[in-house]
Amino acid sequence: MSQLVLQHYLAVGAILFVIGLIGFVTRRNLIVIFLCTELMFQGVAINLVAFGRYWNNDLGGQAFTIFLLVIAASEASLALGLVVLLFRQRNTLDAEAWRELKG
Amino acid sequence: MVPLSPVLILVLCVVAGIGTVLLLPSRREETLKKIGGVIVLAAFLILAAMLIHYVHGLKLGHMSVYFWLFSAVAILGAVRVIAHPRPVYAALYFVLSVMASAGLFILLWAEFMAAALVVIYAGAILVTYVFVIMLATQSARPGAPEGSEVGGLADYDAVSREPVVACAIGFTLMGVLLFVIFDRAPKGTEVVASIAGPTSAAAQPGYEPNSVQALGAYLFKSQLVNLELAGLILTIAMVGAILIARRRVVIPARPGGPAEVLLGPATPIDDNPHSIPVYGSDNPRVKAYPEA
Repeated sequence: MSQLVLQHYLAVGAILFVIGLIGFVTRRNLIVIFLCTELMFQGVAINLVAFGRYWNNDLGGQAFTIFLLVIAASEASLALGLVVLLFRQRNTLDAEAWRELKG
Repeated sequence: MVPLSPVLILVLCVVAGIGTVLLLPSRREETLKKIGGVIVLAAFLILAAMLIHYVHGLKLGHMSVYFWLFSAVAILGAVRVIAHPRPVYAALYFVLSVMASAGLFILLWAEFMAAALVVIYAGAILVTYVFVIMLATQSARPGAPEGSEVGGLADYDAVSREPVVACAIGFTLMGVLLFVIFDRAPKGTEVVASIAGPTSAAAQPGYEPNSVQALGAYLFKSQLVNLELAGLILTIAMVGAILIARRRVVIPARPGGPAEVLLGPATPIDDNPHSIPVYGSDNPRVKAYPEA
């Protein structure tokens, strides 16, 4: 066992972000796509809190994480409302059903 | 300090990418998915071993068992989120990942953020997701083979889109990020957190606030305008979500079906608030809601 350094937390945040990114690109269910967005938010939040902790014990990182949670909550509510609207229109959650959208 | 070899990081990322391709939902056999899971697990274990080796020259600590536990649960839960074909299970694995992240926050002396993460993510947002999943899920396909993990699922859940390209790009990004984090870090910046918890600069002498008190003082002294703006954003988002949910949807005519179906709540079609009749009066003899 060894002492933890800042790079450990940055690595976990980066891995979570990349996993969320892969899910965002590969999944075709609209709901799961937005779930993967939340996964990316979570990786960024770990980064912010770790930076704040390891830089003079500053509280700015935690304050930014609060704002990040605010943005995540607003994004989730709006996106899920849109998903329900899109589902009513096409009766499917497939993102490919909207591929003929232009400009 | 032993620098990590970037080639080794890239090789590990390639291996984890191959495992993830096998893990992503598709109509392959279950055995291949198990092999993919084992590959991903092995890649993360090797990376963890390399990280332990990386900090070998530093002093020994005792808190790191929890770090390895929480980060392993968070990452494997995240892999399961993107790999599970059923959306409800993906949401539940996301809750698991959020709980592990809250543990990491507690290790970082951010108790309030840990509680907020659990309450907001695992409580509020996830409940909304589960409700939407229940509202907008199609019935199972008839004639689909039952028993397997993807049996009876719609095609857009069971088959992922371009898994090879996405994993190649994503894990290349991960390799570059880890390389930058570990190899390109300026020497001498292996910051070791002090044992004392966070203290606010505004704290009075002789008064030692705990982490939550310090965060509250910081938010309301230094970030007051930002905090109010955050509340404003939440209000605007709520109004926008209500507006979106109230909209009526006109389904275009389909052959063999009814020509036009109006879906949506039974509210007036135009969104002018003055068109909504207002009932009720100060006179208690008047009925609040007239019949019909």
